[in-house]
Formats: sequence, C-alpha cells, structure tokens
Amino acid sequence: MPLVNNKVGDDCTVGTDQALADGKALVDSLIKVVACYRQLASCVGGCTDSLQLRDELRQTREKAQMLAMSICSHLTSHLRNRSLPEGQRKEMELLWVAFSSSLELLHVDMCKVFYVAEIFALANTDALVKTGVQGGGSEMVARALSLPDLNQTQSPTLPAELESQERSTMEREISQIDRMIDDMEMKVNVLRWMVEPHGPQRADPLSSTDSSSLGLLSVDEEQPGPRPLCQRSQIFVLLLMSAVVLVSATLSICIVFFS
Amino acid sequence: MHIRCEDEIKLRKGGTSRCAFYFTHVCLFFYFVCIPSVCACCFVCVCVCVCVCVCLSPLQMEKVIVAMQDPDMGMKMRNQRLLITVIPHAMTGRDMITWLIQKYCICEEEALHISGMLVRYGYVYPLKEPRSLVLRPDESPYRFQTPYFWTSTRWPASELDYAIYLAKKNIRKQGELMEYEKERYSVLHKRINHTWDFVVMQAREQLRASKQRRKADRIVLECQEQAYWLINRPQPGAHNVLDMGLERPNNLSARVTLNQNSDFYKSEIETCRRALGRNRVKSSICLESFVKYSEQYQNHDPIMQGCLPSNPWISDDTAHWTMNLQIVPIPSRLRVERWSFSFMELLNDIMGRREFMIYLEKEFSAENLCFWQACEDIRHGESSRIVEKVEEIYKNFLTPGAARWVNVDSKTMDKTLKGIRHPHRFVMDDAQMHIYFLMKKDSYPRYLKSDLYKNLLAKAIVPQETKKSVFPFMRRQRHSSPSPAQGDGPAGADSAAGPHV
Repeated sequence: MPLVNNKVGDDCTVGTDQALADGKALVDSLIKVVACYRQLASCVGGCTDSLQLRDELRQTREKAQMLAMSICSHLTSHLRNRSLPEGQRKEMELLWVAFSSSLELLHVDMCKVFYVAEIFALANTDALVKTGVQGGGSEMVARALSLPDLNQTQSPTLPAELESQERSTMEREISQIDRMIDDMEMKVNVLRWMVEPHGPQRADPLSSTDSSSLGLLSVDEEQPGPRPLCQRSQIFVLLLMSAVVLVSATLSICIVFFS
Repeated sequence: MHIRCEDEIKLRKGGTSRCAFYFTHVCLFFYFVCIPSVCACCFVCVCVCVCVCVCLSPLQMEKVIVAMQDPDMGMKMRNQRLLITVIPHAMTGRDMITWLIQKYCICEEEALHISGMLVRYGYVYPLKEPRSLVLRPDESPYRFQTPYFWTSTRWPASELDYAIYLAKKNIRKQGELMEYEKERYSVLHKRINHTWDFVVMQAREQLRASKQRRKADRIVLECQEQAYWLINRPQPGAHNVLDMGLERPNNLSARVTLNQNSDFYKSEIETCRRALGRNRVKSSICLESFVKYSEQYQNHDPIMQGCLPSNPWISDDTAHWTMNLQIVPIPSRLRVERWSFSFMELLNDIMGRREFMIYLEKEFSAENLCFWQACEDIRHGESSRIVEKVEEIYKNFLTPGAARWVNVDSKTMDKTLKGIRHPHRFVMDDAQMHIYFLMKKDSYPRYLKSDLYKNLLAKAIVPQETKKSVFPFMRRQRHSSPSPAQGDGPAGADSAAGPHV
C-alpha cells in the first residue's frame, strides 16, 4: 500500500483503522452523554428542578460539546480524505450519520431546556410543576462524565447575574451547535440514504444479556388489582402451615408426656 | 319485421327516460330532506357554539397549570399507591373540577370542558387508563406532565424520537407492542434505515441511564413519555389534537370570530332563515313513499318483471316494441294501468292525453286541457314564436267572452294579464298550474271512474308469452326472466282476450 499523501494526516491503513476505532469510541460516548442529558432535561421545570440540576445539566452539556467538537474535526478530516479505502469510508459514513443524529437530539434538548428554564425561573420554586419525580440526577451525571463519584460542590444560591450569564452561555452554545450542523453539511457530502447500517435491525429484545436484564425491569405496575389477592392467599397459607406446626408440636409433647 | 330506426331509438329512450324519471324522483325526495336539515343543523350548531364559548390557547393552559402548583391555593395532591411504591403528586378528576370552579368562578360544564382540554393537549395525563385521554370527574387519578414534554409546535416530535421510543418499548416489553406500534416501527425502520444503528444504540443507552434512577421515578418517567407519545402520535382512529394546530382555536368550541362585514352576516342570516323555512320531510316518511312508489311501479319495469311477449334483446322478436309504440290501435294493459297512477303519467302519454281529451269533450271541459297544452307548447317551444303564441292564448282562452274561456281565479288572472304585456317563456306558469290542479282534482278522478276508461282497460292487450315448442311437450323460454305478470300460464292467457291484430 503506497504511502498516502494527504494534507490532513499521515496515516496509512493501520492508522485509519485506529482512527475508525477512535471515532467509534467517541461517537459511543457522545450517544451515552446525549442519553443522560435527555434524562436530566426531562426534569427541568418539575419539582426536582434546582440549582443542582441546572448545574448537572451544564456539566453534561459541556462534556457533550467537547465530544462533539472532537468528533466533528475527526470525522470531517477523515471523510474529506479522498484516498480513504471504500470499507473504511462506509464505516466513517455510518459514524457520521450517528453523529449528526445525536447532534440533532442534543440541539432539540438544549433548546427545550433553555425555553423551559426561562419559564420556570428558580427564584420562584412554588411554580414548579409537581410531576411526581423524587430523586435527583447525580448518578446520571456521573455516568455521563464517566466519573466513579462526583464531588458535589454545593452552590445553594446562585446570584441572579450568574443565572442570566448562564442563559446567554446556553444561547451561544445552541447557536454553536447549529453552526456545527450547518458546517458539516457544507463540508462533507455524505448521502445519508446510501448508508447501510449493520447490527441488530429491530432492536431484538433478547439479543444480549444486557437487554434482557433491561427487559426484566419493565414496569407494569399499573394494574395492582390481582396482586393483593395473591398476597392474601400467601398469608393464609403461612398461617395454615404455622397452625399445622403448632398442632404437631403439641401432639409430640403430649406423646412425650403421656408415654 | 323491422321496426324503423327512429321508432326503435324512441322506444329505447322511453325505457331509459323512465329510469331517469325514477332517479330524479329519488333525488327530489332527498333534496327536500337532506339539504334543509343540514342547513338547520349548521345554524343550530353555530348558536350552540356561541353559548359555550371557551377557547384556550396553549399559553393560557400553561398559566392554568402553573396556577395549580401553588402550595397554598393550588391543587390538592394525593399519593398514588402502587404495590410497594408510593408516588406522590397525583390528583383526582373531581378535585380538578372543584378547583377550577372555585378558582375561576365558572360553572361545572365549563370546568369539565377546560379540564378535558388540559388532558387532550397533554398537560395532564391519566394514570389508570393512559390511552383514553378524557377527564372523568370522579376518583380517577391524574398527574401533571413535565414541562419538557409539553406539546409544542416549535419542536415537534420527530421521527427519530419516535423511533427511539418504540425501540425502547420494544426492548422493555420484549416485542409486545400494540399492532399499530409494530406497523409504525417497521415503517420507520424503512424510512430512517440509515440511522437505525444509532436508534438502537440510543435506545439502549437511554434505558441504561434510566436504570440509574429509583423505581418510583422510573415509573413516572415512563408514564410521562407514554403520555407524550399518545398525544403526538395518536392511535389510529383517535382524535389528533395537533392536526388542527395548537395555535388555531379548537373547532369544537371556537369563539365565533366576527371578521366579516355586516352585509355578509345579513346574507348568512337570510340564507339560514330561508333554509329553516323550507319544507322538510322526515326521511322515514320519504323512504316510505319511495318504497310505495317502487312497489307500484315494479310490475311495470321490464328489467324487474321481464317483458311480454318476450325480451326483444334476447329473442330477437320485436313484438314488445311494436305493441308499445307511442300510438297504437290498442294500448297494452300495463300502459293503461299506469295512467291511473298519477295525472302526470296520463298527460305524458300521448294516447292517454288523447283519451282524456275525448272524455273531457264529453264533459264540456276540454278547454282546460287545450289551454294546458298550449301553455306547455310555449314553455318548451321556440323563443321566436313565444309572443305570437301568447297572443293566441290570450285571444282563445283568457279574454272574457272567448270561445274557450278557462276558469282561472281573479288573482292569477290579474297577474297573468299583467305579465302578458311583457311576454316571456314562463308568463303563463301560474295560470297553467291552476288549471292543472283543477283538472287533477276534478276531471281526472272522474275519468278514472268513467266507463270510457274502464272499457279501454278491458280491451287492452295482455300479450301472451310467445312459445315455440319444437316438441309438443316442451316449452322454450323466450325471454330472459320468467314473467309472473303472465299469471297462470297458457290457460290464463287463453281465457283473457287474445291478442288482437
């Protein structure tokens, strides 16, 4: 394989394999972070909304943006490399499609969070909607930032100026993502409909142990009707057994006494 | 024997015109029933809508929701008890209605309506039966939807989102999706196939992320998401609130917006008033008369009853057409019977009209029929000759002391005389109608009872079913359908008056 002379890098086939692996890892972490961000975003405006939540959102968002920037430069550089072998190109295109979809999701989530945060300013906690959620999202953030434990720097009160600063930062970041998406479309010409995915086509539920364990978590608690009956029957059986045990015990004692 | 082409065409046209005749009658019946009732309904609906004029925009609904959150004056919250888990922040339908009534001082009906809207637009979701988005004013539990999932037109739910949701559900429920969800899943799979890897991965990641939460929160988040998708991708057949757009007012309770000028509304009111004044017939009565009509004419319909002597299209015997020409020496029995169905039938048949004229001459009231005929001639005749025809009619029938003076009442006479000064095609309509009803009420029933008619009926031909038996005991069917009109076979035909040639 002749040495590829391109402007952006000096990789040969081995190098591109490595690049592919890197890209894949980056995209996977971006997907993870986007999922966590969404989980956190669904709590904004609800009763668990707090400065802590906003802070967590900010951290997750920053991580996502960092990842997005690196993936963008990584993929753009490789996809513009005309001498990329066909198989590698296909893989890169797949990654690119996944990346642009995650960016879409992230963008929408950020816009929604921005909008809801404007309506539900934290100064007035009375107006927060009672959604029934009780826990916080610190585990989520930990997962997103891939840290075993998060040192919570408690900042209970955020002065009003910082809050507005936060808002303008968000605005800037949203427009940044916007521009990134536009730039990608301009610079890299990937025909999405030509991209063929591989992997499980229908998200088969029993394809891996992971998903089966997820399946067992299904919450079908909306019909509590028949269950109390079972509980009652269990208690009844228990009572019966204990009665039988008692009777047998007394009988044996009697036998011992009278024999 | 050949029938001349023109006669053949006329006979055939006669057949089709009969069908058209029945058809127009049906149309007329339904015209008098449907259109006025529809107009009346619209009018009534507009009136009803003006009464229950509640129109909520999304912004207003959000304000109501925020007002409900007030810790002192807001909604009373209860706990939802599932097996082991207790989830707070549930409320009953009855509580919601009571709160709305108290807070906004409205009647129960309006409170029901507003709370129904809150549920339909996804600000509140039911806990017991999540798929039925109605507010029951009883103990059924509801919960507020998180603002992230509030319906918004700025960020409509995308296909990608829906695909991820369905993928999550598929994994969680191990393939047990509802039918329509399965269909949509496969459609999406085809449509956004290029990003399917991402969909599956994101679905898995979201499930893993939600595992980090406690059980109660997981349940709540799942319910929230389900409610969101039930509204943004409703079940087939369910009412889709997003179709009408959130910004546009709800059709069912629109405040009547007056943005037209008063002339438009004046004409609208006039139209509705006229529609209400139109004669309406109950559809049951209308259909009864239609059934009676069909029963009456059934025997006369060659398609339904078969035609005697034989169906010319099948047996190549044109006797049927010959016997039913416009002018025959002796008409067929069916034809004469039809004259007794209605006066119009009699007048439309040339032979019938002739017979009727003979009868009227006997009664010395033939001028009525002549007048009517002359008026018909004007209505359907050439425009160039209208003026002279009107002059003639006036001379012959309307001048006092005319040879054939017709008895028209004074009001109609005045109107007609005034109209004659500027004659047009329909100037004689009122007088003609008057004379028509006169004949119909008076002369026509008497004609039907007269000997003239009865003799004609007795003389009328009942054609025999032609049979040409090759073998003495076999009878070849000469027409497509058996003719019950014939009655009891050859014996009956013989006893009746045989065909006169």
